[in-house]
Amino acid sequence: MSASPPPELTAADYPLSINRPELLRTPSGKPITALTMDAVVSGELSPEDLRITPETLQLQAQLADASGRPQLAANFRRAAEMTAIPDAEVLAMYNALRPRASTGPALEEMADRLERTYSAPVCAALVREAAEVYERRGLLARPVADPDQ
Amino acid sequence: MTTTAPRPTGAAGKQSLRTEILEARPVNLDGFVEEWPEKGLVAMESEFDPAPSVRVEGGRIVELDGRSRDAFDFMDTFIANHAIDVASAEASMAIPSAQIARMLIDPGVSRDEVLAVTRGLTPAKVLDVVKLMNVVEIMQGMQKMRARRTPANQGHSTSARDNPIQVAADAAEGALRGFAELETTLGVLRYAPLVAIALQVGAQVGRGGVLTQCALEEATELELGMRGITAYAETISIYGTESVFVDGDDTPWSKSFLAAAYASRGIKMRFTSGTGSEVQMGNAEGKSMLYLEIRCILMAKGAGVQGLQNGSISCIGVPGAVPGGLRAVAAENLVASMVDLECASGNDQSFSHSAMRRTARAMPQMLPGTDFVCSGYSSVPNADNMFAGSNFDTEDFDDWNTIQRDFQVDGGLRHVRENEILAARNKAARALQAVFAHLDLPPITDDEIEAATYANSSNDYPLRDVLADLKGAQSVMDREITGLDLVKGLESAGFHDVAENLLTVLRQRVSGDLLQTSAVLTADFTPLSAINDPNDYAGPGTGYRLQGERWEQLKKLRHVTSSTNPETEVG
Amino acid sequence: MTTPTTTAPERTVSLREVGPARRGTRPDEVVIALSPAFAGHFTRTIVDVPHAEVLRQLMAGVEEQGVTARLVRVLDTADLAAISHTAARLSGSGISVGVLSRGTTMIHQKDLPRLSNLELFPQSPLLDAPVFRMIGSNAAQYAKGESPQPVPTRNDQMARPRWQAKAALLHLKEFDCIEAGRGPVEVEAVFGPGTTG
Repeated sequence: MSASPPPELTAADYPLSINRPELLRTPSGKPITALTMDAVVSGELSPEDLRITPETLQLQAQLADASGRPQLAANFRRAAEMTAIPDAEVLAMYNALRPRASTGPALEEMADRLERTYSAPVCAALVREAAEVYERRGLLARPVADPDQ
Repeated sequence: MTTTAPRPTGAAGKQSLRTEILEARPVNLDGFVEEWPEKGLVAMESEFDPAPSVRVEGGRIVELDGRSRDAFDFMDTFIANHAIDVASAEASMAIPSAQIARMLIDPGVSRDEVLAVTRGLTPAKVLDVVKLMNVVEIMQGMQKMRARRTPANQGHSTSARDNPIQVAADAAEGALRGFAELETTLGVLRYAPLVAIALQVGAQVGRGGVLTQCALEEATELELGMRGITAYAETISIYGTESVFVDGDDTPWSKSFLAAAYASRGIKMRFTSGTGSEVQMGNAEGKSMLYLEIRCILMAKGAGVQGLQNGSISCIGVPGAVPGGLRAVAAENLVASMVDLECASGNDQSFSHSAMRRTARAMPQMLPGTDFVCSGYSSVPNADNMFAGSNFDTEDFDDWNTIQRDFQVDGGLRHVRENEILAARNKAARALQAVFAHLDLPPITDDEIEAATYANSSNDYPLRDVLADLKGAQSVMDREITGLDLVKGLESAGFHDVAENLLTVLRQRVSGDLLQTSAVLTADFTPLSAINDPNDYAGPGTGYRLQGERWEQLKKLRHVTSSTNPETEVG
Repeated sequence: MTTPTTTAPERTVSLREVGPARRGTRPDEVVIALSPAFAGHFTRTIVDVPHAEVLRQLMAGVEEQGVTARLVRVLDTADLAAISHTAARLSGSGISVGVLSRGTTMIHQKDLPRLSNLELFPQSPLLDAPVFRMIGSNAAQYAKGESPQPVPTRNDQMARPRWQAKAALLHLKEFDCIEAGRGPVEVEAVFGPGTTG
């Protein structure tokens, strides 16, 4: 993990894989240039090495901002937070955000978890906004199960 | 049973011989209906669509197209909170729609200048603007507003038998012909892992750097992407009314979360929407098809996805049935581009029995160029197309290439000689054979490879043991096979170039370069997107022009008489 | 398009309401759920297969497997997945067949997610009497805990150009027949005159 502050990028730095490869690392800390066929064959590389880091997503967010795309940048910032969440939990959270899938308290708990366990305030804000809208639009789960006759 | 029986001719009296001929024309097998504006069965001219309006208070939009915030449904809320630039909204909304429409077609107004205005517009205002434009003006606007300067194309590679060897061979041919993206799907969902692997391997044989996707339900599609078996995702659907969105079991918030999930794994994605979906699902809430589609487009913008597949897509029979429907379809592609989203512009679903009509339908995208002129040209015969048929298929390749040459337009494809195609198909089948062997999957025989080389459709291949394949597919998931395993398999079997191609595609996940707007990977593995290939169209002689080496390539057809020796053909 | 093979008068059917639909207890039943306009506002599918014939074939297919068919009409939605899933939760076996007036059909199971299904028949113009029979038969086999081969479905890439708009229109009309807030009702099929066999 780099100790120096993240570089300030402009659109001219894109694509990073060609122009600024020294900025790109895998989650295990390897530089992107270490992802060679020899490393694959020798077994040095694992699937984990083919994932993106939160730092890289923040760099891409900068590039999105620099090219006048603030919503795309916000998506990348949410994504940067979500790199910390394991695959199965990401899917579970997605399912919990679907209509009538969660009660209000369940969504609030999910937002808390995003903040506390995963340091994901941007994602938490999205979930809280959803909870507020779902309540207004009748899209929260009812706490009592539907009575079957 | 056929659904294509011609209607019986009138019984009473003698009929015109000409009428008999016209009744039998393919176009009269298509479905046409009267408009029903109250129910939303109308393309884009409806008195029931709201009038544009916006009011900003305390840095928030408190009124949107005639509705106040306390009456917003969740689409209004999401669009107001995320899509529209609050700082410029009131000023942009005050610009007369005719002036904004002129900006769209005026070559002296740059793309960036237009975007500075469109970022502050509401759905009804956007509709108001495009309603002033006829289809020629819409095309002119598209030429300037598409995000990436260089147009591209996307193909389907599927099999009526979910035969992985067919998918691989047809993917290789499709990649060679020029598709920058390839998409597959299944008849039997459980076959997905093998078919997705086949698509990836075949594509990298045809042209290293082609990006692949497998259309499935949301969770499985994400899982295959996470494993590196696919490179991007597209069929993440959004809808224009709250009721229909909820029927589709999602909300703008769940879909935004899903979009970020893909980005968090370095995987490119776009949403999908299209005119006609809400009325087809029974509840357009009285609004026109294009109004609701514009809501979708702005929702996508608000979610922060880089792009959108639209152009009615699987609902094309609905706008196709009403007056002005294809004008609305052209307009929806333009709207995606004019709010700075990548646009994969339809032309991907069978739409008409008439060859004239299905060609005309594609002209508003092909002639100006879009990010992906087709979001699914069938690179297999339509009988094998598991998306229920595309607007174009393999039998149209030579016509497509001819139209490119006729008009000097780059539609993303090119003619390829037979020997090159055969070599690519053969190599794809052999590469897949090696990968299956490496992964202990049911073997691919030399007979199947021979068949794949010369085949046209799934009928031309030996039948596989489907149950054994399905067991193999399950084991791929159980053993957590990833793209890296495919690389190892290819490398150890001697397919060094294909292995290297796939590794390079996978390596892009680490960089995130393919996450930016309209990103593709060129043949020399350079990410090309709206950032480093911005559309700089500014009138005649500017922007992307089909010229030079690429034009020479597109002059080639199957049979061109030589002018130096008219008794021969150009090789 | 199906053409009538006989000039005899066509069977008709009406659905007589018996009472509110209750959860069944017998495991050897399949619930067949009809949409709001089925055998009421509409009397035939998009390709003119009479609803009487659809019901006759579905029920015969179920009964041939030694399973009972119970008919229910869902009134508060025209969404096939919702109709089918509601019925599956009422069914003693957990298995249901949902049918829209235009003919679109689905076999569902109570423990599956609403948007999933056991078998789906989305192209209504391609469904004729023999297919409905096989659907009934498969549903009954699922009810008995068996794993039948899925009913083979045709893939007609010209179905969309020909029928999609008409299907949209029919769906809009069906939507108009929704009675919000009304729960599902058990119904009895009353077949009208017409030749047997």
